[in-house]
Amino acid sequence: MELFWEQLPVVLNALNSGFIQTLKLFFVTLIGALPLGLLIAFGSMSRFKPLSWLTRFIVWIIRGTPLMIQLLIVYYFPGLVLDNPIWGGGEAGRFLAASVAFIINYACYFSEIYRGGIQGVPVGQEEAGLVLGMKKSQIFFKVKLIQMVKRIVPPMSNEIITLVKDTSLSRIIAFQEIIFAGQSFMTGSRGIRGVIWPLFFTAFYYLIWNGAVTLLLGKLEKKLDYFR
Amino acid sequence: MKKFMALMLAVLMLLSMAACGSSGSAGDDEETTGAVTEGTVDAEESDMAYVKEKGTLLVGITDFAPMDYQDENGEWIGFDADMARAFAERLGVEIEFVQIEWDNKLMEIEGKTVDCLWNGMTLTEDVTEALSCSNAYCNNAQIVIVPSEEADQYQTQESLSDLSFAVESGSAGKDAAESLGLSYTEVTSQADALMEVAAGTSDAAIIDSLMAAAMVGEGTSYEDLTYTIGLSEEEYGVGFRKGSDLAEELNQFFKEAYEDGSLMECAEKYGVQAAIIEQ
Repeated sequence: MELFWEQLPVVLNALNSGFIQTLKLFFVTLIGALPLGLLIAFGSMSRFKPLSWLTRFIVWIIRGTPLMIQLLIVYYFPGLVLDNPIWGGGEAGRFLAASVAFIINYACYFSEIYRGGIQGVPVGQEEAGLVLGMKKSQIFFKVKLIQMVKRIVPPMSNEIITLVKDTSLSRIIAFQEIIFAGQSFMTGSRGIRGVIWPLFFTAFYYLIWNGAVTLLLGKLEKKLDYFR
Repeated sequence: MKKFMALMLAVLMLLSMAACGSSGSAGDDEETTGAVTEGTVDAEESDMAYVKEKGTLLVGITDFAPMDYQDENGEWIGFDADMARAFAERLGVEIEFVQIEWDNKLMEIEGKTVDCLWNGMTLTEDVTEALSCSNAYCNNAQIVIVPSEEADQYQTQESLSDLSFAVESGSAGKDAAESLGLSYTEVTSQADALMEVAAGTSDAAIIDSLMAAAMVGEGTSYEDLTYTIGLSEEEYGVGFRKGSDLAEELNQFFKEAYEDGSLMECAEKYGVQAAIIEQ
């Protein structure tokens, strides 16, 4: 037990810096994927058929293959096949590669949620807008889009919570997020060797963070509870 | 019909992409090995020049006491880490330790995200075929880990036949289990193999003796585990890209460091002096 108290600060220190990496990836993914997802949604709803086919094709590939494989391809493909390791070997390059893979992957999922939110607005409202003499673009921005925001909050919460946990997949390209940090004590790190509990302890970090995210998104949902 | 064709083409594209990825990592079929050597023909003189020009030697490692591990301040120490630092100094370049997933080591080195693998790497046939390796510098053995209270029963090879083993996939321990005809489960790391035994999901594990010495016993989560017999002997080496001139340079460095005593001094610091091979 004495040993545990000795190890605790060292372990917490390592887990904290691992969790900061996790959060970095989380926020960068959100910042990148939320707007990109909307763009993709517009692409797949486009009346210009080739564009809509192309985007739906891309969405099919990204949603149809494991994120883990996508991470491996994004990180190793340039060096292995193009003989040009654009990401470099350091921590910064691994973070960038992971961010790119996560942003593309999550943008595709978000795009379908956006599309559902936009197309879920009843046709009657569009017809009403036309009767009132609104232009198509006016109907889209002033009627459909604001209602979409409200509709997509619950499915978005789902994806965002999944994202918090999915960041752990980035360890496949040795991005040192919190689980990587927790596991390092099993082989020996910072003077602590062969210790298992830090790995399981990482679950609390996820749990607490997801609790905060859930509360925040719940609040947002309440705030958007207009039109009722 | 058009749509169907597009779909088929898409599937083909995806498959070809997957094929590129896997052959690049395995590097064992004729075509890829050809491509790899082709790529390294001009690199043959220049891998050292490439590293010197970059000014940084990227050393692929995992957190693995006593070879490469972090001290309390997060600095990389260990027998391998200290020797790598001295080698980089000799080359006149900076050193950067890069933690990698050990399963991906061949992709890392071929994709140039690391320049060498210096992490108590067992010189198995797979490794020596795919990489240019230095001379062996350290002896190691694969040993059996069992719960302490049962240790007396498992002191001979014959006694092991009823046990279920956990081994690291692709490791020398797995080869040992296979050649002895033991029943085993493959897990992703040696640490996971130990956890299997601690959790009782496997009866025993086979891991490196150097690692076992560092990881079981007092102060670890494995106080109730101990090691019994050795199954196979093996040697550690450092891996470079196929055809790299750095391997020869490192052999030279090892020789000099062995002669002037600095290699043994470093080994004693980390308690591995008994296992060092004369250079």
